[in-house]
Amino acid sequence: MTITRRALALGGTSLAAGAAFSTHLATPALAQNEPIRIGWLAALTGPSSAPGIGFNRGVLFAAEAINAAGGVKGRRVEIITRDTQGDPTKAVNATQEMISQLRVHAIWGPTNSGESLAVTAIMARAKMPNIHPCVVDTLIDERRYPNAFRLTPSNTQWDDAVRSYCLTRVNAKKVAVIGDTTGYGVSAVNASVAAFQRDKAEVVYKANIDATQPDMTPDMLRARNAGAEAIVFWSVSTGLIARLLNTRANMNWDVPFVGHPAMSSGEVGSLVERPANWEKVYAIGYKSCSYDASGNLPPRTAELVRRLAGKVNLQDSLLWWVSSAIDAVELIAKAVEASNSTAKEAIIEHWNGLKAYPGYYGTYTYSPTQHNGYPTEEVVMSAANSAKNGAFALAPGY
Amino acid sequence: MLASIIASGLAVGAVYALIGITYNTMFATSRVMSFTAGQLGMLGGVFGSLFTLRLGLPILPALVLTLACCALIGVVTEIVAVRPVLKSLDQHLYVLTTLAVALLIQHMTAMEWSTEPQPFPRLLDLGSGIWDEKYWLPVAVCILTILGLEYLYRRTLVGRAFVAIAEDNFAARALGLPERNLRIASYALAGAIGALAGFAGGQLLLAFFANGPLLNFYGFIPVALGGLGNNRGAVIGGFLLGLFQQAANFLVGGIFSSVAVFTLFIIVLLAAPQGMFGAQAARRV
Repeated sequence: MTITRRALALGGTSLAAGAAFSTHLATPALAQNEPIRIGWLAALTGPSSAPGIGFNRGVLFAAEAINAAGGVKGRRVEIITRDTQGDPTKAVNATQEMISQLRVHAIWGPTNSGESLAVTAIMARAKMPNIHPCVVDTLIDERRYPNAFRLTPSNTQWDDAVRSYCLTRVNAKKVAVIGDTTGYGVSAVNASVAAFQRDKAEVVYKANIDATQPDMTPDMLRARNAGAEAIVFWSVSTGLIARLLNTRANMNWDVPFVGHPAMSSGEVGSLVERPANWEKVYAIGYKSCSYDASGNLPPRTAELVRRLAGKVNLQDSLLWWVSSAIDAVELIAKAVEASNSTAKEAIIEHWNGLKAYPGYYGTYTYSPTQHNGYPTEEVVMSAANSAKNGAFALAPGY
Repeated sequence: MLASIIASGLAVGAVYALIGITYNTMFATSRVMSFTAGQLGMLGGVFGSLFTLRLGLPILPALVLTLACCALIGVVTEIVAVRPVLKSLDQHLYVLTTLAVALLIQHMTAMEWSTEPQPFPRLLDLGSGIWDEKYWLPVAVCILTILGLEYLYRRTLVGRAFVAIAEDNFAARALGLPERNLRIASYALAGAIGALAGFAGGQLLLAFFANGPLLNFYGFIPVALGGLGNNRGAVIGGFLLGLFQQAANFLVGGIFSSVAVFTLFIIVLLAAPQGMFGAQAARRV
């Protein structure tokens, strides 16, 4: 039999039409049974992979728990993960793939601000429901990015919590504000200084230090000579933190350090010359993931930890990474359940109406004009050297 | 405050001086400024931490292994980044090739070691305060290195062959000196000196992949200040740089101290383009 071009064209057209027709007919049935596809932009490898791995444990746990309980109205939750390696370019590619090819219903992540800055506008153009744990303030803009919701506190909320702790619990009226020389370090120090000055506190010393500077004695001496009663610190550089703490000890100065969560990183513990050098260091933490004076977690978190036992390793991770990821997956699932739809608009509308939603990591409240849903009063200071099963003891004064 | 400036200034100055000597040692036999010098310093700290803290070796074997590894990396640099471009030195292709190797080393270290600074052990556990070993050890190692090099260059046959190659490459080859082997040996020696800088300064700098570019920049300044190829000039330039940098840190703060250092550097080069101790190069016309 000879195949002519006309026959081939006719056949192809008929096949395409048939496929389109059958797809059209099948759509309602598929929509009721098709899985809820959640895109998960995870930095699972590369320099910022530690939080990514922690978040991932929470994501998998939540998805398995929901599916084991029968899914969301019979629909399974399907997690579609792409490893961005912390690289904004890879995050952009993965986002576009999730939007145009994988057709996910909502995206959780990325988990660091550099990546999020690169993908937020792309998701906004596609009206993709997005929830993320990144702290940079500009990532949330309800008018430009009505699809983007923040699960964690913003930088401003961190700053408010640190300032409040210094002024009301440490009773420090004169503070030194120190950060590194990265864009984040400079902007965080400037914002912190401005906020302290608005609250009529005296910023007696302000510095941005190169993270590779070998000797911190000059800056610490200048801070002490200026009369600093607390040192507010903004940097993720564990080397810089450890050097400052070692210098503080060598100067026999017991000024408290208050600030960035990186101060509670295990890396700092390995870099300080003596364990005592890590005392009086208070890093940003969360009420839901903090031990009280009796060494107990809040009841809801304690119940979660019992559920996680034997399934999720908390020894090399932080509890809030795991619990916030569980909340993110559950927030998406609840939106589908409540609206009975995986339509983008329906998920966003549901989130916009959430009031005091009780998650494991926080109590979230969103509205069409406020997508920073984490309550500032749940941001607390933790004793940086008190890590146990991914949670920290509350700093003194609570 | 003055004691602190002097202690930490001399310590970081000694590390910069050793990196300057690393530059000079590679330059002497090849006429190439190899931008792997700072990375060798960084690797001195990383290998030191790896062998002592992770693998649990005693200090002395760890030091020997660190020197051997960095010497090997020096040789590899000569083979892959220097030798292929020696015929076209006037095109300065070595800038590209040595920078490429430097970047390769830095990224490999970030991936295989850590992107966070790692601890470096106490080596002798001697002294405290401004007499802590982390301050005087780099100075002592720098002095011993310069004495050792002086002995090598003045009293040994191999050292004299190095000097001959450095003085006049063509004449030395005409006399039958194995120029290529001597160049390889000088790159191995430079690798060991760079490693020594990182090992001696490990308690100050920690085992951190980002130390490479820092040492590349600040190690180059003593070379320019002291005169290219002049080790004694590099040592004096390094100590002066360290002291000036620490004084600037105390007086004007971290960010501005870098500005102060580079401003002074430019002023010195404007006043003495050949460096403070370099001889004016005669040009045949």
